Amino acid sequence: MKTGVLALQGSFYDHVQSLKFIDQDYVLIKDTTDLSNVNSLILPGGESTSMIKIQENNDLFSALKKLIESGIPTLGTCAGLILLAKDVIDGETSLGVLNTVVERNAYGRQNQSFEGLVNLLGNKEMYCFIRAPKILSYEDSVTPIATIDNEVVGVIENNIVGLSFHPELTNDKVYLDWLSSFLKDGVNVRSL
Amino acid sequence: MKIESTFKIKKGLAEMLKGGVIMDVVNAEQAVIAEKSGAVAVMALERIPADIRAEGGVARMSSVETIQEVIDSVSIPVMAKARIGHFVEAQMLEALGIDFIDESEVLTPADDKNHIYKHDIKTPFVNGATDIGEACRRIGEGAAMIRTKGEAGTGNVIEAVKHMRSMTDGINKIKTSDQNELMSLAKEIRAPFDVVKEIHDLGKLPVVNFAAGGIATPADAALMMQLGCDGVFVGSGIFKSGDPKERAEAIVIATTNYNDPEKLIEVSKNLGEPMVGINIDDLDEAEKLAKRGW
Repeated sequence: MKTGVLALQGSFYDHVQSLKFIDQDYVLIKDTTDLSNVNSLILPGGESTSMIKIQENNDLFSALKKLIESGIPTLGTCAGLILLAKDVIDGETSLGVLNTVVERNAYGRQNQSFEGLVNLLGNKEMYCFIRAPKILSYEDSVTPIATIDNEVVGVIENNIVGLSFHPELTNDKVYLDWLSSFLKDGVNVRSL
Repeated sequence: MKIESTFKIKKGLAEMLKGGVIMDVVNAEQAVIAEKSGAVAVMALERIPADIRAEGGVARMSSVETIQEVIDSVSIPVMAKARIGHFVEAQMLEALGIDFIDESEVLTPADDKNHIYKHDIKTPFVNGATDIGEACRRIGEGAAMIRTKGEAGTGNVIEAVKHMRSMTDGINKIKTSDQNELMSLAKEIRAPFDVVKEIHDLGKLPVVNFAAGGIATPADAALMMQLGCDGVFVGSGIFKSGDPKERAEAIVIATTNYNDPEKLIEVSKNLGEPMVGINIDDLDEAEKLAKRGW
């Protein structure tokens, strides 16, 4: 039971820290050979354009897409959400496994980045939005799990969760408890 | 409830750049090449360090037009340099909507004693440092990211290595010191006590630390990553080389796969000519940019 953490670039060590808090085994993923024995996935924040470019040399995303489509629990935060989204405004669709339309950097540049009070799974916590992507719309098969001022900033579809923000920079107990059960059991965990 | 530009948010952007390559560019065309090659951010400047070194004169913040042009041409974060102590250049960069300000020794300093008080500016700052004391002073002033200074515009990695090793030694010294020794240590390295205490408690710097100054090849980037930095800045090394696009891509892949010699060999093939380097011993003391900063 290992969680694969995409480690091409970005805040992957912060996610590793979250996994250490919940005693979850992990492996860093840089190449297709790192994917064996992985039964849950985390796609971190960072720059989606860089990650897409870096994986071109070994076509990692084709293998990753297959793995996600096999139904393993998958969490994407910020750039990770962009990688998951089926449609990306001002950016490139890559994995395209989550039925949402996402706009890159839609909350503004760094000077507009903020800490905001998010309702995640019924619990309110301050989370970081850093040049964050916005969830513009989603299909009926997608359910919201996080909101800020009534705007949806997190969704779940089957076993795939995408968040606009960075819970890994906060690591509060509610998030870590949710993460622990989500990575083990997927959709069988509570949602809003 | 939303609160903009907290220190956590400033530091957070640097966290997102980790494992990546930040490239110096002087116009939109270079910025687009950098973005397409996988850069995590670009540094907009008037002249790259190798040219500043060759041409001399006072080096200042880039023209507003250059900065605007670069901002408009790419979707990744854009950084720009302000002179040491020149808080008005920093205010202008903040108003221009730059994502990160580099208070840089590569430009001619504007103040011979003081750096900018960075907490008052919404935009996060990265500062150069040659050792732990200097890093602590910059963090105390509000820097949200540190980079080793190296010796910019030389294509020679030795100074970056020296500064990275010195930083690691300094962190280890603080980490292994007894609590009772911290004030004396802070005094010795001329560092604010609070930052020294924070490093002691965390066991590492409280902000991200990149390598900069003299990185010219994929192997140089991998070397700096193996020495423990969080990512790399490449200045003159890319656009002063024979084939900038190939070299930029190769350095990006090398930074991700810094522990994999096979991959490093693969990306190092057919790169064309690297930039011509300068031996540090051939520089006059006055020509060493790393000495700037107080």
